[in-house]
Amino acid sequence: MAATWVRALVALVAFVVVLVVGINVVGAIDLTKDPNTGVPVGFNTIVTILAIGLIVALVVYLATEYAQTRRFDSITSQFDTRTIVLIPIAIAINIILGQTVSAALKIPVYLDSIGTILVGVLAGPIAGAVTGGLANLIWTYILPAPFQSPYAAPFFIVAVEIGLLAGIFGRLGFFRSRPDTPPARLAIGAAVVALIVAIIGIYGFLPFYTNAETNVFQLLFFAQPAEGVPAPAPVFVILGWLVALLLIGAVVGLIALLAIRRDLGAAYVFVAGLVCGIVSALISFPISSVVFGGVTGSGTDLLVAAFQKAGDDLGTAVLKQGLLSDPIDKTVTYFVVFAILGALSRRFIARFPQGESAIGLAEA
Amino acid sequence: MSADDAAFLASLAPPGRSPYHRLNPLTKAVLASVESLGAFLIGGYLGPIAILALVVASAAVAGIAGRLVRISLLLTLPIAISVVLVSVFTRAGTHILFSIGPFDATSEGVDFAGQTLVRLLAISTSIGLFGLTTDPRSFVLDLERRGLSSRFAFVALATLEAVPAMVERAGVIQAAQRARGLDTEGSVRARLRGVLPLVGPVILSSLTEVEERSLALEVRAFGRPGRRHLLWRIPDSSSQLALRAALLFLLLVAIISRLAGIFPSLP
Amino acid sequence: MLELRDASYRYAGYAREVLHDVDLRIDDGEIVGLVGPNEAGKSTLCLVASGLAPASVGGTLRGTLTIDGVAAAGMETHDLAERVVVGFQNPNTQRSGIAATVFEEIALGPMNLGLPVDETVARAREAIARLRLESIIRRDPQRLSGGQSQLVGIASLLAMRPRHVILDEPTAQLDPAGTRLVGEALRALAGTGTSLLIAEHKTDLLDGLCTRVIAVDGGRIVRDGPAREILDDPTLADLGVEPPARARLTRALAGAGVDPGVVAATAAQEAVR
Repeated sequence: MAATWVRALVALVAFVVVLVVGINVVGAIDLTKDPNTGVPVGFNTIVTILAIGLIVALVVYLATEYAQTRRFDSITSQFDTRTIVLIPIAIAINIILGQTVSAALKIPVYLDSIGTILVGVLAGPIAGAVTGGLANLIWTYILPAPFQSPYAAPFFIVAVEIGLLAGIFGRLGFFRSRPDTPPARLAIGAAVVALIVAIIGIYGFLPFYTNAETNVFQLLFFAQPAEGVPAPAPVFVILGWLVALLLIGAVVGLIALLAIRRDLGAAYVFVAGLVCGIVSALISFPISSVVFGGVTGSGTDLLVAAFQKAGDDLGTAVLKQGLLSDPIDKTVTYFVVFAILGALSRRFIARFPQGESAIGLAEA
Repeated sequence: MSADDAAFLASLAPPGRSPYHRLNPLTKAVLASVESLGAFLIGGYLGPIAILALVVASAAVAGIAGRLVRISLLLTLPIAISVVLVSVFTRAGTHILFSIGPFDATSEGVDFAGQTLVRLLAISTSIGLFGLTTDPRSFVLDLERRGLSSRFAFVALATLEAVPAMVERAGVIQAAQRARGLDTEGSVRARLRGVLPLVGPVILSSLTEVEERSLALEVRAFGRPGRRHLLWRIPDSSSQLALRAALLFLLLVAIISRLAGIFPSLP
Repeated sequence: MLELRDASYRYAGYAREVLHDVDLRIDDGEIVGLVGPNEAGKSTLCLVASGLAPASVGGTLRGTLTIDGVAAAGMETHDLAERVVVGFQNPNTQRSGIAATVFEEIALGPMNLGLPVDETVARAREAIARLRLESIIRRDPQRLSGGQSQLVGIASLLAMRPRHVILDEPTAQLDPAGTRLVGEALRALAGTGTSLLIAEHKTDLLDGLCTRVIAVDGGRIVRDGPAREILDDPTLADLGVEPPARARLTRALAGAGVDPGVVAATAAQEAVR
């Protein structure tokens, strides 16, 4: 156990070093907000430095492990035979569900990551990442028609991230079923989720969608703006309300679910799905806008068009569309995986590398 | 090994119908990747159209030009419609060509749509050519011969089987459910109600098989470290090796050119 | 020789053991039959005797498993695969899913062992010949009948040239002709010094094939002796095991006052044919 802490510490130090060096090299980061989007101008720089830091930290972690044990057990242990056999089935689930569901229903719920998330939860983050990456690459380069899709491969980075996150959430126990939770704890759970959603909404979503540099509440409630500040356009007020209602509706839905099923696990799954959706939208929008011009052939393209009409550039428009559809898709997907885990026998899950931590310790 | 056995093993490798088919799968993969990445990196109109022409010419050598064009157009059509509608009418631009209601069609929008379309066509035809002329199993086994871990090879090969197998399994379960009175035809809502009860059993029955299948594989020494000696090989040649190296070098040049701003900027 | 001593086994995540104090020894060239009611632990015994439990499925094994003088504890599954193979009932899950032809499916095991191509081909051909599968070697393994699949599954195991073979209901999907074919192949195999453990409901097959039969009930070995003696035992039926036709016929004739020697002579004739 001590060895793992050493590795984690070394990796953390490496991460901080990269951050410090990066910020010094770049110089001052411009934190003034872009008047159009409300997002700090230096946003891309920050993200790049963070990403490099993460990669360096991972490499340092593995190097330390190799120096300590001459093996990469933290990775290889995730890939036993059961996992290797599971991965193709998981990929097949991704592809078949991804094709049938998105073709049948025209809503932005694709459900094409169920297999990736399942492997991540059961086997570990690296296994999940590999499943996601392989799924997209195989979907484009190896599968023959009619299953082949030429559009999946560029998004393999997103799939890798989905698998990684799912593995981390699984290890942290976010997918554990917590049945028969006493009502007091259910209420606390619901309150915590509502608070998280409120913070993300008020400081993240609403200003971004309404291009508001001023007080968001003034915007929503048609309050008189301060002297010299232009009145907000009606379309942004409507957008603001739409986003606010979506967020409130999601929280209400979760509260109902908690009340009916009395399983606090649902709150954890909700938050994990939300985080995964937001991160996925952030990673996929550059790929979507640069490679495909922001177009996917589904109904969400109208949304992108609407945002562009309201004055956003392509990248921002695609990101706004993504931040609406991806959290919905990923949260629904996370709940589907939660249901699948509930339907599989404990004995089956326990034999996977991360199975025990994913569903909690066995009784009897 | 007798001459008969050698001939038998050679017969297990899939035949190549044309000189293009007979190229080593890795060569065809590198071609497809460089062509699609190149179309994307070069941008503009000239680059992607030139690449498109090259791909169609290669397809003609392979004898499948018509089929390739038809399939690529079919695949790109839904996206093409969206691209046109979205870009033409809503991209910020100053040269207004015509208007429909509140929507202005700008020449900047048409330009963007045009560039995106040729790029998409170049990408889908180059990858499509690879898919139509390469046996996926041979590709994976060729990669394993070159050093790909046999576990990765297993995952790729098993996925090839798993996808159609799952569709078939869904068909079987659907037939069983239909026999029990579940309606599967009809309106969208009815079909949805027919599909949903299918999803659970298909996924769960596929997953519960994992245990027995992994045991059966371990009995056959799956996961043993070290290389395997595969039964047959797809021939490669030094000229193909040179071609792959040249293509990758071209790709590198294209990346550097893009970063240096030599190519027209993407709108 | 394969030997289990004082073996008790418990699956992962379960408190109760399902095998209790099992002593089992199979010499080279011996064919041992395994009978017992359902849920008695036959399949678990097959897993434990092959070393897959606990090497692959986890769980806790008390007691020892020794294969050819070497302790199996701590062995990797691919090391075990070089010594002992176990086949299960369902031919669909026994299939690898990555072979395009039956030949490649059967050659997969030797190939995984890292053998050179000539050796792989030789072992595959040998297994194909044993089970008379020449006519289907180019077929797609996914498109075979249940019986063909089962024969291909057994051939895939035999191609590994293991010293010890454990089979859990190898003839479940086979018709009488197929069952006889498997019996002959297994008898020939034992002749080369391979030890065999075969769990079966078809006691007729075991009757003609096995030198020894053991019966399992409630996770314990309750009978262990020469095949003829165990299978003729009238209390076998109490274990939920149907006695072979020969035993039933003998008993019926003896009950009717006819000399059972008639049946013995006929059985001998059948075995020769």
